[in-house]
Amino acid sequence: MKPLQGKLALITGSGRGIGKAIALKLASQGCDIVVNYFRRREAAEQTAEALRELGVKVDLIKANVGDSSKIAEMFDTITESHGYLDIFISNAASGVGRPIMEIDEKAWDWTMGINAKALLLCAQRAAGLMEGRNGKIVSISSLGSKFVWPTYAAVGVSKAALEAVTRYLAIEFCPKGIAVNAVSASAVDTEALKFYIREGLVKDVKQTTPVGRMVTPEDVANVVAFLCSEEAYMIRGQTIIVDGGTCVAPWSSVVEKGEA
Amino acid sequence: MTVEEQVKDIVSKIAHIDKSIMSKESTFKEMKADSLDVVQALVAVEETFDIEIPDEEAQKFRNFGDFVDFVQQEVSKKG
Repeated sequence: MKPLQGKLALITGSGRGIGKAIALKLASQGCDIVVNYFRRREAAEQTAEALRELGVKVDLIKANVGDSSKIAEMFDTITESHGYLDIFISNAASGVGRPIMEIDEKAWDWTMGINAKALLLCAQRAAGLMEGRNGKIVSISSLGSKFVWPTYAAVGVSKAALEAVTRYLAIEFCPKGIAVNAVSASAVDTEALKFYIREGLVKDVKQTTPVGRMVTPEDVANVVAFLCSEEAYMIRGQTIIVDGGTCVAPWSSVVEKGEA
Repeated sequence: MTVEEQVKDIVSKIAHIDKSIMSKESTFKEMKADSLDVVQALVAVEETFDIEIPDEEAQKFRNFGDFVDFVQQEVSKKG
């Protein structure tokens, strides 16, 4: 029997990118999946098909997690169709790439709403469905929560908030038997990276990553899957960094690389 | 209300633009709609008409008219 057989996971923003990789990883361990997507139905349907090929049950739910009423509808649907949830992954993200002096209230609210507030509102609803099931919640952050990247202010701040929400949830959910953690990655090789791409960025990231390559969605998914396992039971409220060593050796372009 | 009128209504509310200055020839820049206004307008239009506007298509819109034409095309596809 596969380790997550009979369990149900909701992964926000799982039609593509990191969310898709997480969905595939959990499904490979037998987990049924609720794929949440916002605008790309076709990509979400392709992901759902790939998941079904792994032999798990898949639901598709369209919802903008930046909208509290859509979050409520999404959880109402899961409550009606399943009545339980074992794993919730807060992955959907958006943001406005602007210098800090150009961030207006609308841009701030949009970014904070999707990246930070959604975790709070979803976790509150998820907790009700996880009663007595040793639930797991994992949020997906980025190194922009700690480090400064050009035009990343709104997203970076929202990810710092997400990590703080993760810590508070982790402690307040201990009595409920729900483990809450975050996974933070450096630049991940996905379609979303195109929005922040500048000439030479990929080369720069490779050069400053001690292992000599970019982080992949699968690298993130592997750590998320570990945090969803009972082996990670005593890890609570942590932000696990997946960056190929970048944080501990920021000047690694001048040192010898590991295997690429 | 025509599709054009509905799209105009949505964009003007989201980007706080006076409808009288919106024409099919107006660019988003001329209407002072920023990138987030455009994204939010796309989302609202998708929800209103139950259609999908891929980002690749949206990037090709030269002006408000292109946006309206695409929406009209998608709405008529649905019958």
